[in-house]
Amino acid sequence: MRQQYAVRSLIIVAGLVLVGLAVVVQMIRIQSSEQALIFLSQGDRYAGEFQMYYPERGEIYDRNGHLLAGNRTVYEVGVTLSEVDNPDSMAYILSTYLGLTYEEVHNKLTASPEDWEYVVVQDYVGMETVESLQQLISQLDDAEDPRLNGLAFKPHLQRSYPENALASNVLGFVTRDGRGYFGIEEKYNDLLAGNPVQIWVPRDPNKATEIPRVPNGTTLVLTLNRDLQAQVETILDEALVDYGAQNGAVIVMDPRNGEILAMASTPRMNLNNYGNYFSLYDNGSQYNSSIGMAYEPGSVIKVLTMAAALDTGTVRPDTTFIDTGSIEVGGITVQNWNREAWGQQNMIGCLQHSLNVCLAWVATQMGTQSFYGYMERFGIGHPTGVDLAGEAMGRLKIPGDGDWYSVDLGTNAFGQGVSVTPLQMMMAVSSITNGGKMVTPHVLYSMLRDGHQYNVPSQYAGSPISPQTAQTLNEMLALSLEQESSQALLPGYRLAGKTGTAQIPTEYGYDPWHTNVSFIGWGPVDDPQFMVYVWLQQPSTSIWSSETAAPVFSQVAEQTVILLNIPPDIVRSQAATK
Amino acid sequence: MQATQIIHAYKQAPWRVQRQWIGAFLLFVIGAAMIAALYLDVTARTSVAGREIQELRSQITTIQRGNADLETRLADLTSTAVMRQRALELGYRPVQPGELDYVAVPGFVPPEPAILLAAEDTSPQVQTLPAEYTQSLLEWFDERIKFGGPR
Repeated sequence: MRQQYAVRSLIIVAGLVLVGLAVVVQMIRIQSSEQALIFLSQGDRYAGEFQMYYPERGEIYDRNGHLLAGNRTVYEVGVTLSEVDNPDSMAYILSTYLGLTYEEVHNKLTASPEDWEYVVVQDYVGMETVESLQQLISQLDDAEDPRLNGLAFKPHLQRSYPENALASNVLGFVTRDGRGYFGIEEKYNDLLAGNPVQIWVPRDPNKATEIPRVPNGTTLVLTLNRDLQAQVETILDEALVDYGAQNGAVIVMDPRNGEILAMASTPRMNLNNYGNYFSLYDNGSQYNSSIGMAYEPGSVIKVLTMAAALDTGTVRPDTTFIDTGSIEVGGITVQNWNREAWGQQNMIGCLQHSLNVCLAWVATQMGTQSFYGYMERFGIGHPTGVDLAGEAMGRLKIPGDGDWYSVDLGTNAFGQGVSVTPLQMMMAVSSITNGGKMVTPHVLYSMLRDGHQYNVPSQYAGSPISPQTAQTLNEMLALSLEQESSQALLPGYRLAGKTGTAQIPTEYGYDPWHTNVSFIGWGPVDDPQFMVYVWLQQPSTSIWSSETAAPVFSQVAEQTVILLNIPPDIVRSQAATK
Repeated sequence: MQATQIIHAYKQAPWRVQRQWIGAFLLFVIGAAMIAALYLDVTARTSVAGREIQELRSQITTIQRGNADLETRLADLTSTAVMRQRALELGYRPVQPGELDYVAVPGFVPPEPAILLAAEDTSPQVQTLPAEYTQSLLEWFDERIKFGGPR
């Protein structure tokens, strides 16, 4: 009996072992079959997904911490097609809320390819619209109404400019593909945008820590002073109206370190509606004429001619010149702006009355090699290296060029036949206010990344003249402005500067009716803390710089001393003696 | 004599050997079950923590987006045009040069903007995950055996 049980037990055990073995064999067979590989690959496919992480674009601040360019949340409104209950109702509702046509939405919901699971109805939808839609969905859910089933909102960031058009010519803009155009946005696009990273995001929570952190784009702090920028833009806009000018540009720079405090030009556009670009500008050089448009500056360049002549010892402030009203250079007669003779003048008088004949004579006394050598050292004909996209080089013809003639020596000396940008002129003239050293203009003050601050140091672009020459010319230009009783003067502050009225070259010679007027000035003369350049294109109320650009300079200087807290000369001298 | 025989017979009893085998087997099963239970417990807790990390990441992204929104909205509300309008409505007007009084303060340095001050004080903190999120079960056992608890 006992033996029978033992046999039965053995049979049962053997049976169970066989079943167990069969299970194991079947498991191995299934796992190594071709179908198993398909299942494995399907499993891998759903184990996670590749996601592109776009870092938050770095913000842009002015030097006082005011936000000039930030980011705001917008939404991609899409629909999961398989969940749509009633395409007609959904198309009607979405077209009403999103400002699209019914047909447009309906087509997306019904005529999308069959294998599409999700369709984007509209992107860059504002938060207010999405909140309204979410409220409606909530109400429909409460009523168990499925009309908006499948509607989804995916948030993402979009560039936003709180100041709208303020400093638009400096900032540039970012299109929806995330690329910066013009100004800071283009120049520092790589820094601002950061590095997009494609990451495998596992659904397995055990692998959550494997998702790397994507650092945001670098935040930039600019040298611009927002309040001064606003004032300068207002003054420029009013000047265009007051003087009937077509366009204009005004720059305010700290001549000690090249920091650009304000840079305004027209036209400007609301950066939040960058689609208006093509209706406002014919070409890219117009976007920021302060750096993008080179023009014949006229008499403001006499400052550089005189600087070169003083530095070479060709003339001194008291050198006399008998102005007969004309001079022949290279076989061509050069005349003064009023075609009159001004008699005996010293060099201060030549600058004060802006005498072409005198400055042409000065250039001929210096000689071709010396004159053009200095112009090269002043950076004329070369980009300044300002950290803004779209800088023009200007043009300085030099002996040896096919289109250079002997008369160019005389005309270049008073700003004809040579083209510069306003910023080039400021960089060159900074040598006079800065003890002979030229500063490289720049807009970037500091970069902020991962909690660290990287300040941008000032850079010098050479020393074209000696400190003595700079000091002498600084005083000469202050005197000439005072003796002229210029409209550029500002009560309480001793300023220096130079007007420039330039005829406009055309295909048929110089336009006899229109001019470009400019003024470059700085102050206070004993300690220059600001330099202003004004350029008005084709003013109609007067063709003269002294009656148009000079008063604009005075207005800008007035706002500059207020906003930069620069006390009047008498207060500064009292403070210095204490 | 009788007692010795009884002990001898007890030691040689076939059922006693069987019990020894059964005991050993049960001990093995219980041990394996304990390890399995511990493994499951640790794995489950790791999964929960991983899921929490994923949710926190999502929250961080949402909060960062919210911060960017609020900052931009604040900038909208304090933009030059808005502030100028508000100032005019409150009866203020632009100052004229002659109306300003300057006071010389020796050694005064204008303060840096907040955005720069915040950056100077911040340095990246090295964040380390607790061992529970990084060590394997074997490492955990090893640590318990060697140190009697977490280091």
